[in-house]
Amino acid sequence: MPPLAPSTLLVLVPLLPLVGAILTLLLGKLLGSRAHLPAIAGIAAAAAVAVLLLLGTAAQVGSPHDPHAEPLRPVEMISTLWQWATVNDAYTPAVGSAAAIPGTALGGQGDSRAFSIPVALRLDPLTATMLAIITCVGLLVAIYSVGYMHDDPGYPRFFALVSMFVFSMSMLVAASNFLIVYVFWEAVGACSYLLIGFWFRKPEAARAAKKAFLVNRVGDFGLAIATFLLWMTYGTLDFHDTLSPDGTILPGILGQTRLADAAGIVGGTVGTAICLLLLLAACGKSAQLPLHVWLPDAMEGPTPASALIHAATMVTAGIYLIARSAPLFVACPGALTAVSIVGATTALVAALTATVQNDLKRVLAYSTISQLGYMFASLGTGTLLGFTAAIFHLVTHAFFKALLFLGAGSVMHSMGGVIDMRRFGGLRRIMPITAATFLVGSLALAGVAPFAGFFSKDEILATLHSKGWPNAHAEHHDAAPASAHAAVAAAIDTTGRQPIRPASFQADAADGAGRLNSLDTPATWQTLFWMALVTAGLTAFYTFRAVFMTFTGPTRVPEEAGHHAHESPPVMTLPLVILAVPSAIAGWWLFSTNWLAHFLSATPSLTAPAIAKTAAPHAFHMDLAIQGSLAAAIGIVIAAIGHLGRRSDAPQMERFLGPLETLFANRFYFDQIYSWLIVRPLEALAIVSALIDKHLIDGLVNTVAHIPVGLGGIVRRLQSGLVQRYALAGVMGVLMIVLALAWQLRG
Amino acid sequence: MSPIVATTSLALLQNALLVGAILFSLGLVGILTRRNLIVMFLSAELMLQGISVSLVAWSRHHGDWGGQVLVIFVLTVAACEAAVALVFVLQSFARTGRLDAAAWQSLRESNLPRTVDHALPASDAVPPSWPRLAPAGVLPETDADRAQEREHV
Repeated sequence: MPPLAPSTLLVLVPLLPLVGAILTLLLGKLLGSRAHLPAIAGIAAAAAVAVLLLLGTAAQVGSPHDPHAEPLRPVEMISTLWQWATVNDAYTPAVGSAAAIPGTALGGQGDSRAFSIPVALRLDPLTATMLAIITCVGLLVAIYSVGYMHDDPGYPRFFALVSMFVFSMSMLVAASNFLIVYVFWEAVGACSYLLIGFWFRKPEAARAAKKAFLVNRVGDFGLAIATFLLWMTYGTLDFHDTLSPDGTILPGILGQTRLADAAGIVGGTVGTAICLLLLLAACGKSAQLPLHVWLPDAMEGPTPASALIHAATMVTAGIYLIARSAPLFVACPGALTAVSIVGATTALVAALTATVQNDLKRVLAYSTISQLGYMFASLGTGTLLGFTAAIFHLVTHAFFKALLFLGAGSVMHSMGGVIDMRRFGGLRRIMPITAATFLVGSLALAGVAPFAGFFSKDEILATLHSKGWPNAHAEHHDAAPASAHAAVAAAIDTTGRQPIRPASFQADAADGAGRLNSLDTPATWQTLFWMALVTAGLTAFYTFRAVFMTFTGPTRVPEEAGHHAHESPPVMTLPLVILAVPSAIAGWWLFSTNWLAHFLSATPSLTAPAIAKTAAPHAFHMDLAIQGSLAAAIGIVIAAIGHLGRRSDAPQMERFLGPLETLFANRFYFDQIYSWLIVRPLEALAIVSALIDKHLIDGLVNTVAHIPVGLGGIVRRLQSGLVQRYALAGVMGVLMIVLALAWQLRG
Repeated sequence: MSPIVATTSLALLQNALLVGAILFSLGLVGILTRRNLIVMFLSAELMLQGISVSLVAWSRHHGDWGGQVLVIFVLTVAACEAAVALVFVLQSFARTGRLDAAAWQSLRESNLPRTVDHALPASDAVPPSWPRLAPAGVLPETDADRAQEREHV
């Protein structure tokens, strides 16, 4: 491999942070207060390489405005490092199995496949985007942590963990195999556990870490079962196609061979089951509704870790997984609808909860859940616009949420660890840089034009709107067939390909998958659209409630801060300023040039005909922008009426909510419900099991153990130590042998 | 006369074997019942001689010198064994001051009590007469088990 080949660079992105982590662990004690150096160097180098890769991939995809551009081709590069495991003849596909090479029959005796897991890294637009986000945000957070974590006894450990996290996450998005994805899915979970429980002497932190890990296990279970099902269905776990030794192509699950084939993806009950299990996995990692309870508690960890893992990167793993598996989902409309329903419901519930939280980091945690819900709602539309809008929102969200979290950390740092918004106020006079950058982040989160969140949120609303009111968009889209997407779609349509609807799909329309599919109606999407719009207003409200409570009103600082409440050091404010720039302009830039959407649509998964034919021209929906801005404006105005310039410990807005306030403040009683339904019964079961183990099982074992002891007690008395008794025993033995022989030989 | 000769030869063998068996059994009973180490050693010698007599008798009966050669070997080995055994007897007497085989019980199960004589033969019950000395120095350690043991065997 030449030194600057993309495949070498691709390996460097995960490798450098790994080396940094190992060096930090080995030399941490030696380096002392300079223990951040190997980790930051590793992440910085990885960030540089990731940006190079992003630019390289972009050059391959081509510009969206190039008039001579050929129709969009999938851009993909696979770099196989080594074979992890190989089992020959592990799988014999049945006749008509989806494991077949599209267009060929299968089922002969010689068709058995090997179970082989290559450690393969892939590079495509989606991976390149994710890698750039992970390493760049990771770098800024690591630099910020130099200031935030100084004097912490676990200083080297923190940087080793952050570095290890960047390694795991980049492997997760670069892996080209479901099993490798699973491995690093677990690895980021482990890093998250270790970082939440970073201050493990604090009981709350230890509990929160345990909770996060256990709740994530539920999702991981879904991913494991989904992986099994994928293996049973497709006979491979690779994303990419591989060339077998005899020259035939073994199609990967998301390889271009399969994507080009109309019947290549399994729908129906099995397909829906796979997709719902993947959705469960994504819900766990991305904190969606049934499994979101771990994320607010995860704020017990250090704030930079919250910014990096629980806002900007790790929680996007679920989004990534669904976007990567897009062709699987598109084959199962019911599962897609479920993704949107989960997402929109989560967005609304989390936003409602956030409106009454008094802990600044918890407001941000619930807003993260809510924004991830937005992305899920967008993914669930199953259109090219939906997938790209979700990733677009992921990118902008990574910037502004990292900014907000780091700003909250700056406030916390200056306030002596106090994060309850009722105990401080008017901080804009004490920490102007933090206040200004926090305001930028809030404007982006609230979706105020022209900040980043406005454009990504607008695209999500647009994609939901187009599903809810398909007719309103149809003529609008047909009017502009000149775009590259439309060209691809047209090319595919004229080849006479059927949409992905396997024959089995009609047969089982009456079962669970069919019932789920029947949810896929405009009425559902209209409801989801309104939910998203209400959420947009709520988002603006709670964001500005937090801004007004923290930064306006009479200046107050809690006594924990002492007399040195001050602006944070430059090493902390610099990342804030750097992050504020993309939070302000990245949305406008990416939207106006249509760069990201064009770039992402060259991802192999998104070039599947069923997705590519939904390509819509790049358009700015003025009516939706007005609706979204109106919602945001209403939210900000209400927040201003309630909180602008007032003491933050004064009576709050929520006294108007009545009983709803109790519901929101108790976070819809999710923790209590889980406690009563799951935790308590399990604890009772554990107590009963412990009793059974202690008395029944141990009793049986001890009884068995007493039998030889008792028998031995009888024989032991013969061991008198007297020589003559032993001699007597010997003589008796000889006599018995002689008698026995005589008896035998008696004739 | 040949049957008489034959009878005499067989009778000789029978008598010799009988003597050998008696010697062997005496030795066996002695080694199992007597606790005096020297007597046990003598009993072992007695068993050896019983075997030797049998060997000589069979050797003569078959007209084969092998048995008698073996007896010479037995005598040689017995002489060596006597040297070793007597050294052992002397050393053990030096350790315990007694010739009692029951004095050596250390290899019993750790939780079993020491085997002691509960009823001594009447003849042994005569108290020994120790010289009376003026009390001085440290009282020697006394072993409760030892106190119950026989003075001689």
